[in-house]
This record gives sequence, structure tokens and C-alpha cells, in this order.
Amino acid sequence: MNSVYTSWSSIFIAHVKRDILTNSRSLIDLISIVGFMILIIILFPLGLGPIQEKLNIVSNAVIWVGLILAIMPSLEKLLQKDFENGWLDQIATSPIPLEVVMLSKGISYWLIILIPLIITSPIFAILLDMDLKNIPWLVISISSGSLAISLIGLSGSALILGARRGNILLPILIIPLMTPILIFGVGVNEAIKINASPYGNLFLLLALTLVYLVISPFISALLVRIAIGR
Amino acid sequence: MFDWLANPNRFKKITNKLEPSLLVISLLFIIFGLYFSLFDSPKDYQQGDAVRIMYVHVPSAWLASFLYLSLAISSIFYLVWKHPLADLISSSIAPIGALFSILTLITGSLWGKPMWGTWWVWDARLTSMLILFFFYLGFILLHNAFERKVDGSKSASVLAIIGIINLPIIKFSVDWWHTLHQPSSILKFDGPSIDNQMLLPLTLMIIGFGLFSLYLIIVNVKTKLIEKKCEALILKLNLKELS
Repeated sequence: MNSVYTSWSSIFIAHVKRDILTNSRSLIDLISIVGFMILIIILFPLGLGPIQEKLNIVSNAVIWVGLILAIMPSLEKLLQKDFENGWLDQIATSPIPLEVVMLSKGISYWLIILIPLIITSPIFAILLDMDLKNIPWLVISISSGSLAISLIGLSGSALILGARRGNILLPILIIPLMTPILIFGVGVNEAIKINASPYGNLFLLLALTLVYLVISPFISALLVRIAIGR
Repeated sequence: MFDWLANPNRFKKITNKLEPSLLVISLLFIIFGLYFSLFDSPKDYQQGDAVRIMYVHVPSAWLASFLYLSLAISSIFYLVWKHPLADLISSSIAPIGALFSILTLITGSLWGKPMWGTWWVWDARLTSMLILFFFYLGFILLHNAFERKVDGSKSASVLAIIGIINLPIIKFSVDWWHTLHQPSSILKFDGPSIDNQMLLPLTLMIIGFGLFSLYLIIVNVKTKLIEKKCEALILKLNLKELS
């Protein structure tokens, strides 16, 4: 037993590696999420009319909202496959702490899905005519807030394991929880726009991310145990 | 004490006695409260008659938050002690709380149009109340989303407990962000800053609404207990036919 149960960090790294490997085999998911994000971004100029000033005002919020909407379809499948093929049962009954596995799930989801969106976000910002001085702050705020978003999404996807119509239910359950992230995330760039200090909003955003980093693995593990008990 | 109350039969016995008197008393409170608030209370010197909307708005807002707190507490009881009655109570509270929160938003926007000049502003108090409504909605939807009812009860209880974080935000939103919604004038450290003539109908309405929702919850729980009994009876009959 001791040879398997080494240390939490090695368990964590092994599970992150596993998730990245299984997801890199098929890039369809990733391509469709980035494509969905691009389409959400395109809809706004079409709906608002191609007036640069209007786009400049909403660009920051549109990218954040687009990010939250774009990951919804993938969140629902975050734990679904592992739940259906029994992998989660195996993990829960093994001596490996489920909380560490859940943390690795959240982090690997962030690495696989959200890092590509963060990398492409400057392109979206330019498409929406954002000021160049705002773009670095957009990347900073999105990269710190998106970890919290993926951790909330992890808990949400654990909440709907085994539910009927979980895909429709999930956004209703987790979008209310994501509103603080959106408010402080958008606040960072709004502060830059009026030449104020962005650090207040940024630190609150980081604080929220740290809070979710601590509580989300425990809540998710609890919910997975409940789901397995079914 | 909770074990003693948690027995469904004892619960039924107590509530059978309590139920009719609760209905009568709560209706009396609401009738007197409505009389005082609509006819026998002064107009506001700025708001005129529109201030009377407050006598419905404030009690339903209080109850929406208070019912969420009780929903979360009974969810904790369900998750920790796994008592089925706690789940019945929380699932009976949820629709009533959702109705009160939507009533708060509707009366608030009816008042807001003449006073603020707009039906809706994205003020911190209003937004957090709307989010409270979505927590109620999420609870109800998640509770009914599973094949077996027990699964839904457990997941929904966890969601209800997570949602407690919204309650202090609602309470303190008017102090933290100075936006359009006015700060509290009743629950303050230095006593209420509202005139006694207005405080009387407001208190009557709050007590009346509270007792009436307690009555509704009791009726709901009793209906659900009967439903459960019916299900058990049907199961028994099916088993007999099989054997």
C-alpha cells in the first residue's frame, strides 16, 4: 500500500498529467470552446452595430461574460465521464484523498480549457477595440479570476452528477456564484479606464480565488461522495 | 429536543392543534396590519401614498431572507443527522421563500418607478435579492432533478448551505455600497428611526406574514408526509401482488 500512497503532491501531479494527456488526445473540445467564445464575441459587434466607441465601452465586460458562457458546455462533462465509467468510485474507495484529486481536476481544467482562452483574449480585446493599455490588465485579471471560475465550475459539475437534464441545470446553479468574480474582474479594467488604481479590485479578485481554492476541493469531494452513494 | 420534535407522528399531532389557530391569528394580524397601513397611517411627506407599498415590501424582504436562513439550517440538519423530516421542511420552505423574494422585487419595482423614476436599477441590494431568488430556484430545480428523491435532497441541501454566503451580502449591501436603495431604518444599534405610527402597521404585517408562512410551511410538510405514506402504501401493495 505504501508504494502507491506516496505523497499528496505526487498524487496531485499524476492526476494533472493524466487529465492533460486524456484531453490532449482529442482537441475537438478545446477547438469548439474557443470557437464558441469567438462566436459570442462576434455577436456583440453585430448586435450593437460596428461603432467603435460603443464596442470600446463594453469590450471588457463582453470578454468576461463570453468567457463564463463559453465554458458552460464543457463544465458539465468535467466529471461526467469519470463518474459514468466508474473511475471516481475507484478513487473514492482507494486510500488516495479525494480532495487532492478534486483539486487536481480543477487545476487541470484551468490549464487545459482556460489557459487557451486567456492566451487568445488579447485577440478578442483587439477585435472589440479595447485600448492597448488595458490589454495587459485584462490578461492579468482574467488569469487570476478564471481559476476561481473553474473551481466553482468543478463544484457545480459535482453537484449535478447523475441528474436529469444536468446540462440545463448547471448554468442556473453556478452563474449566481460566479457574479462576484465577474464584478471584481471587470472592476480591474474599469479602474484603469478612469486612471485609478486597479489593485483594490485585483486583490479582492485574488482573495476570492484563494478562498475558492481552499473550499472548492472539499465541497466537490463531499458532493462526489454523495453522488457515488447513489 | 429535536429528536423529540422530529418524530413525524408527534409533529402531526402538534401541528394539527396548531394549524387552525395559526391561520386565524395570522389572518387577524394581516387584516389589522392592512387596515392600519392602508387607512390609518400617515402619508410620507415626500413619498405620499406610495409609502404604503413598504408595508408589503419590507415584510416580504425580511421573510425571504429569514426563510432562506431556515432553509439552510434545516439543510444542515438533514445533511448531518440525515433526518427525513428536515428535508421535507426545507423542500416546503423553498417555494414559499422564492415567492416572497419575487414579491419583494415586484413591489420594490412598483415603488421604484414613481420614486426613483425607474423600474429597476442595478443596485447592490436589488441584485443580491435577485441572486437569492436564483438560489431558491436552483434549490427547487436540483431537488427535483434526480430519479431517486434522496439524491436530489442531498445535493440541494449542499447548494442551500453554500448560498448562506449571500445573506450577509443582502443585509449589509446598503452599508457597503452607497447606491440607490436606502439603508435600514428599523434594525439599528440606536433604535428604529421610523415613526411609531408607521412602525405599528409594519410590525403587524411582519408578524402576520411570518405566521402565515409558518402556516403554509406546516400545510406543505403535512401534505408531503401524506404523499410519502401513499408511496409506501403503493409499494406495499405492489409487493403483495408480486408475492
